[in-house]
Amino acid sequence: MSIKRFEAFSRRDLLRISAASVAGISCSSWMPRLLQAAADKPLPKACILLWMPGGPSQLETLDPKPGHANGGPTKSLATSVAGIHLAENLPGVAKQMDDIALIRSMKTREGDHARATQLMMTGYKPMGGAVNYPVLGSMVAQRLQSESSQLPGFVSISPFRISELGPGFLGPKYAPLQVSGASNDPNSRANLTVENLAPVGVDVKGMSDRQHLLSMLRGSIKASSESVTKHASIYDAALRMVETNGDGAFNLDDEPAALRDAYGRSRFGQGCLLARRLVERGVPFVEVALDATANATWDSHVNNFAAVKSLCEVLDPAWSTLMTDLRDRGMLESTLVIWMGEFGRTPKINATTGRDHFPDAWSVALAGAKIKGGQVIGSTTPDGQEVKDRPVSAGELFATALELLGIDSQSSNMNGDRPITLVDAAKPITELI
Amino acid sequence: MNCSKSIRVGFIHLGCYVTLLCACLSSSRADSRGDEFAQWLNQRGAEIWGKSPDKCDDLTFVRRVYLDLLGRVPSVAELRDFEQLGGDRRQRIIEALVFGEGERADRYLRLSAEHLARQWRQVLLPNGSSVLASAVGLENWLATQFKNEVPYNELMRRLVLVQEVSATDSSLTGQLNYFQLLGGLPETYAGNISRVMLGVRIECAQCHDHPFTQWKQADFWGLAAFYSDLKAVTGDDTTSKAGTLGKIQFEDKEYVAKFLWSAAPVAQNTLALRTRLAEWVASKDNPNFSATAVNRFWQHLVGRGLYPDIENLDTAKPEERRFADEFGRRFADDGFNVRRLLAAICKSDWYQAESQPEAIDALAFYRPMKTVSPEQVFDSMEESLHLPISRVDPTAPRYTGERLQLISRLNESSGRSPADYAAGIPQALLMMNGRLTNEAVNLESSRLLRSVAEAPFFETQDRVETLYLSVLTRRPTVDETKAINAFLDSHTDEVARKRAMGELLWALLNSPEFVLCR
Repeated sequence: MSIKRFEAFSRRDLLRISAASVAGISCSSWMPRLLQAAADKPLPKACILLWMPGGPSQLETLDPKPGHANGGPTKSLATSVAGIHLAENLPGVAKQMDDIALIRSMKTREGDHARATQLMMTGYKPMGGAVNYPVLGSMVAQRLQSESSQLPGFVSISPFRISELGPGFLGPKYAPLQVSGASNDPNSRANLTVENLAPVGVDVKGMSDRQHLLSMLRGSIKASSESVTKHASIYDAALRMVETNGDGAFNLDDEPAALRDAYGRSRFGQGCLLARRLVERGVPFVEVALDATANATWDSHVNNFAAVKSLCEVLDPAWSTLMTDLRDRGMLESTLVIWMGEFGRTPKINATTGRDHFPDAWSVALAGAKIKGGQVIGSTTPDGQEVKDRPVSAGELFATALELLGIDSQSSNMNGDRPITLVDAAKPITELI
Repeated sequence: MNCSKSIRVGFIHLGCYVTLLCACLSSSRADSRGDEFAQWLNQRGAEIWGKSPDKCDDLTFVRRVYLDLLGRVPSVAELRDFEQLGGDRRQRIIEALVFGEGERADRYLRLSAEHLARQWRQVLLPNGSSVLASAVGLENWLATQFKNEVPYNELMRRLVLVQEVSATDSSLTGQLNYFQLLGGLPETYAGNISRVMLGVRIECAQCHDHPFTQWKQADFWGLAAFYSDLKAVTGDDTTSKAGTLGKIQFEDKEYVAKFLWSAAPVAQNTLALRTRLAEWVASKDNPNFSATAVNRFWQHLVGRGLYPDIENLDTAKPEERRFADEFGRRFADDGFNVRRLLAAICKSDWYQAESQPEAIDALAFYRPMKTVSPEQVFDSMEESLHLPISRVDPTAPRYTGERLQLISRLNESSGRSPADYAAGIPQALLMMNGRLTNEAVNLESSRLLRSVAEAPFFETQDRVETLYLSVLTRRPTVDETKAINAFLDSHTDEVARKRAMGELLWALLNSPEFVLCR
């Protein structure tokens, strides 16, 4: 009962703050932004990474090979752009092709999940841990995070993350806030929550008592060091999130039921919707992972065709609705959407109707952020075994993404006394920008 | 002291060193509790840094030694015992905790070995290292070494050796583990041995000659060649093949085994190549080894290294590392005795100095507030909140997985040095709203709150004081007492007052002082 009261208070409080902003007193970070949008100023840039851990098959998604033995039973499907075909598993995405650019010539050399994940998340090859490289989300958060935001600059909506991959030498300020969706069961409505966000067993009075006492205790520390200051700033940010219930971002019930249905009532579908709400509230980088359905993963060594079909049933409505939703709200031009895994799958079908790890020639997709959509970069040979033209490295992909977000990919961050460029000696793909 | 003065002559003058060694050994036998060693630290420190800052108060001191030596805060009972001790109580509590004296001796020795093992596991495998398996085996092995008083040089020698051990010899599995945990690659292991034991980061010279320091690829791969015959036990056996000991290939070039700071290859005609490496690394005549050792212990206890950039000791100018060098030499002369070293540092004025808000400059003495490690946070909560600890109690958080959960969440974002506070929002949320905190501040479920609320002869001020002592190891200040009385008085009915005590406990657990060691 007490939690409800507290939440009710928070919402009321938010309304009060919002009203104040309209009256010209700027207390909230998102009201001014909405006003800014109304004044036709560009929205801040942001990125939503649709991360497919396990390595999705390019042949059943972005680079179908119907008619070749390696293509298997997968049929291809015409898209909204003449001459570009996707696999039949992505009918919704096919309709969005005007705003999507495909890269069918990824060539990355790392065929082990852990090493490839590190490469595709940091842009740097694993080098035995000599430098603790930050992941893309942390790099973007560090450059684009707004100081006044109620929310952190990098949110990860993933059932699990490899804990070694994070902000690296950039430090915990740019670590992802993890949102767990404990269950993929549609009956639980993919309850996406931040762990420990809601206080238990304390009412509004208790909350204010706690803050009162906490500020008294802060005042008693004699030697006020950097640690004390950091502690206060992290706690203030956390308290702000608790009070505003994460700026209201997590109240998915506020969305129309029809829109929630369109995204799909899966953890990933609702995660994409949450990603849009987070970007709307000024979060510059959101990662949404789709790793599994009830009986399939992208790591389709066995029964590849059924597995990819099952995953695409979750992926297709979520991704395509995200595109239309962003476009409807005028956010697509400022928001980059990336779809990728750590590698692709072998064109040759194995003995268990599966496909194995394949970093030699695979596909990713980019959309939004004023990208030149409706085009395909690079291509593979008819058997899918090799890149035919325009091979693209992880570094080139990273450079492209960063430049699309307005970040100089050749600028550096300091790792102690050593400058490390965001992307190691790779140029952006100019055809896309 | 003659002894310390001539020690500065150093490492090349082996001849006169032998006689000095005898002198020092005889003096150290008399100095069984590190008192003279502490005196030397006081004197030598004063010569280098000037007068030491004022000493911290007793309660701050007790909080420090319990956290630093046992890994948790003292209980209220332990505080009362401490306050009963005489004028030499600081000395006596250090000896009780370090050497295991008094009625709680066994428990203290176990806790202190486990705490040292955690610290050194963290040194061997800092957060963010990629490891192949759980480090529990390595940590247990380290705890056994510390418990058995294995000298520091011998402990490190055992790690350098990576002896192939039979699976039945479980006491030695830690050695195998460290190499394998790091992935079973000669180059990774060599880089870590150099970083951990010599304070030198040569791994940057793996792919190219290092642009800023003296290190060349020949140095890096020369050290890796001492391990070139070993291979990973896990993973894909077809790709990892053992090479020939003493030679290693990288990018079509062959490198031969050699020590750092030396151009000459180590003679190949010996089978015991790694024994020679171990002797060279962990020698008492290797200044980088002993200086790095004391630098690390000093950092653990005082908060900042004598030379602060511990893992780049090779970049220090001679005057910047002078104290660490002299101190290391003394530690070596004392037989690398870990307990005496801990006692000496804790007994010194430097350890007991009041903490300072910031460093004046890189070379001045600096006593920062230290950040309490994730394990210390849990173990302190367990102690202060009277959480059940019995193995047979099904609710004991230590065994239900709750300890592990809290520690791994806090570890996701922990600092690189003791002075570095690095927690992020998820960690703050966990401390604010997590289950342990919820149960602790709720009268129904909190053992501490109940014991305070139900104590028969307690006045309000006793209750408040007990909460403060349990969590922060101090009494409330006059101002705090005033503020808290006003706060409690604003809650008129009995139920609200009891709840208010819970909110006070919440604030104590979430105050910066709980996660920092003042």
